[in-house]
Amino acid sequence: MEAYLAAIAVIALIYVLLSLGLNLQYGLTGLINFGHVGFFAIGAYASAILALRGVPLVACFAAAAALAGIAAWPIGLISLRLRDDYFAIVTLGFSEIVRLVVTSERWLTNGVQGIPGIPRLFASLEGPAAQLATLAVILAVVVLAAWIMRRIGKSPFGRVLEGIRDNEEAVKALGKDPAGFKIQVLIVGSALAGIAGAFYAHYITYIVPEQFIPLVTFYVWMAVIMGGVGRVSGAVVGAGILMLFLEGSRFARDVLPGISEVEMASIRLGLVGVMLILFTLYRPQGLMGDYTRR
Amino acid sequence: MSLEARAISKSYGGFQALDRVSLQVESGGLFGLIGPNGAGKSTLFSILSGFLKADSGHVLLDGRAIDAVPAPARARAGMVRTFQVPRDFQHLTVHENLMAAAPGQVGETLPGLFFRPAKVRQQEAEIAARVGEILAFLRLSEVADQSAGKLSGGQKKLVELGRALMVEPRLILLDEPFAGVNPVLIGQIMERVADLNARGIGFLVIEHDLEALTRLVPRLAVMDRGRIIAQGAPDAVLDDPLVRDAYLGATL
Amino acid sequence: MFYAQLAVNGLVQGLVVGLAALSITLVFGIARFPNAATGDAMTLGAYSGLVVHRDTGSLALGSLASVGAAALVLVLAYVAVFRRLAGRSVVALLVASIGVGFVVRAALGVAFGHSQLVFQLPLARPYVVGGLRITPLDLQLAGIAAVALAVVFAILYLTPIGRQMRAVADDPDLARVSGIRPARVMLAMWALAGAVAGVGGLMLGIKTIVMPDIGWDLLLPAFAAAILGGIGSPVGAVLAGLLLGMTQEISTPFVGFTYKIAISFVVMLIVLLVRPRGLLGRLEGTR
Repeated sequence: MEAYLAAIAVIALIYVLLSLGLNLQYGLTGLINFGHVGFFAIGAYASAILALRGVPLVACFAAAAALAGIAAWPIGLISLRLRDDYFAIVTLGFSEIVRLVVTSERWLTNGVQGIPGIPRLFASLEGPAAQLATLAVILAVVVLAAWIMRRIGKSPFGRVLEGIRDNEEAVKALGKDPAGFKIQVLIVGSALAGIAGAFYAHYITYIVPEQFIPLVTFYVWMAVIMGGVGRVSGAVVGAGILMLFLEGSRFARDVLPGISEVEMASIRLGLVGVMLILFTLYRPQGLMGDYTRR
Repeated sequence: MSLEARAISKSYGGFQALDRVSLQVESGGLFGLIGPNGAGKSTLFSILSGFLKADSGHVLLDGRAIDAVPAPARARAGMVRTFQVPRDFQHLTVHENLMAAAPGQVGETLPGLFFRPAKVRQQEAEIAARVGEILAFLRLSEVADQSAGKLSGGQKKLVELGRALMVEPRLILLDEPFAGVNPVLIGQIMERVADLNARGIGFLVIEHDLEALTRLVPRLAVMDRGRIIAQGAPDAVLDDPLVRDAYLGATL
Repeated sequence: MFYAQLAVNGLVQGLVVGLAALSITLVFGIARFPNAATGDAMTLGAYSGLVVHRDTGSLALGSLASVGAAALVLVLAYVAVFRRLAGRSVVALLVASIGVGFVVRAALGVAFGHSQLVFQLPLARPYVVGGLRITPLDLQLAGIAAVALAVVFAILYLTPIGRQMRAVADDPDLARVSGIRPARVMLAMWALAGAVAGVGGLMLGIKTIVMPDIGWDLLLPAFAAAILGGIGSPVGAVLAGLLLGMTQEISTPFVGFTYKIAISFVVMLIVLLVRPRGLLGRLEGTR
């Protein structure tokens, strides 16, 4: 039982990291990033590939964050030139291209077969101890990330981000250039996604391209929207609700007869779709109120 | 800070929005710009402040051409604009709106906010003090902690002006400061503008409300269909037959 | 010659992308948002055509089913969702359309599962024309596309409702003031966009396979073609679709099979950053 709860907690914390990054980009700054899973994938694959070549884990994680962050830089430059919806489409395309590259470059990523045998964190410890240790590390990283996001949110930097979200032209009219802020926010949020990806790879130990589809991006969007856009606590609550949804659907399949794994996947997809529709119709600000930090 | 528009033209598709528009605002001047809807006034503002590019002509600030200078840099140089429809940071409070406008904040950089917290705190205190003064000057102190999005139209215009003042400008482009504002507030805004002008800040004011504008400015220009059709002191300009034609039916 | 053959191979692919792009550009021009449910409407068209063809043996009836189902689903989406988001931001509509796409895809997944289905059509030897090989199936599909395009353009340029649609696309305020009733135009537009997507989906399903993801996978090239052709230009969308489809095939020897989709992405990016109005579009801001 504890092992199950620990597993849920690890995945939930990974989603919290993803939500914190997206919240910085969308909740604070208003950037419509539909390519979040692409950076998650870059982090996962980078860390896995390096670890299997004997690179120490800490360096792998650092590389995951760095590569995801670097990949975000051109995306940031593009965000300066495009309207919201075009930027959204381009980022969606980007994450699909990442999946494409990962699927094709078999020499690097083993293509569709994926990468098995990724070393766990704390491989030297035994089962339950290793799991708890991993949980502790992820928790520590999440707490640090959440603290950093809160500091940013309450700072003058965060104020400008909210200004950009609310009225970018007004920010320019005050002599501040939104460009640098947007790029930094995309890099930081994507680096977080990269770290989340590394944790994911080293936890489930076997990654395949199919795990990095746009649906994951929209899971994170749901978490951010449901938890309350703009607030750090919202990212945590949202990830929690998302986990309830994902795990709940697994339980439902055990309870309700005659639904196959594949059908459940389709039902989940449909529910995400319905929720996206309902949220745009009725609660664009999320469950916990609107953008205010109060 | 002097501002000059020299033969500025701008067209959209087949439509000529501005046709060789020239005007000059001398340093510390108080200059008005009126004209019917669609005359091109806001387009001119956008070009002067760097939000639009002119097809031809030049914008000169203190005698130097700034055509290649992007909008944020023009604001940093001392020329700030407001918008016809107030562009407030609606999810921030009035106080935060003005705090956000102050230039040179160390806390607006990531290294700054994490590695120099003491300096950030100090600056926040200094800026907050200035914000308090400006809010008091604009009679907005009571609503300082309200969400800017919840204010009335007139109050939003004052917040825009407040934000512009935080930048410590030498020239302010006011886009229809009186539109949609209740008459009592109009008087207040005019007083503030006159006050600031007396302290040396130049103004270029677009307005529809002829009566209010002519009480405020010693010089104005009239635009119609992309051209300046008259310039000078209000009385002289309003007697001009071309101007009367443009405002056919309007009360002068 | 080799490349000419590749271009011919890319003909049907190009027509499919062109039809998808046409559907996108119709919606973008009139409802003014990128419709991410286009792909899934195509998939629905493919499945509908497959089922009816399987049960009746008639490809003609199958085509009607494709057109009808896809048109119906987009009209329903308009009535239930998009209409209520009128006046909201473009992003809200985009997100809602992604949701609609997910719902359609999920329904298809539950109903049909994830196995690959194929149209049972007789295999035939390719014709050889001037040294180039083209299969009868490709010709039939091209014919279907040609008919569909002819009908669409006839509606757009020769009927009153088509004129009204183009008026709304050009200038919605003026259109409203001129007494054009927006609801009728919208319904017609969504039905038309759906029908076009349905034909494209049918062709895609016949040419390749039928699976829940086939439409979504085409979304990126379809958007790229719509943007390349100039958002809002029906002719541009079709031409750009053909261009992209054929280019993708011709480039396969160079970039490999999987990466040809990356070409669409690169093209789209270049167009958006360098010449946002595409080939035939009006001057519209991407900023």
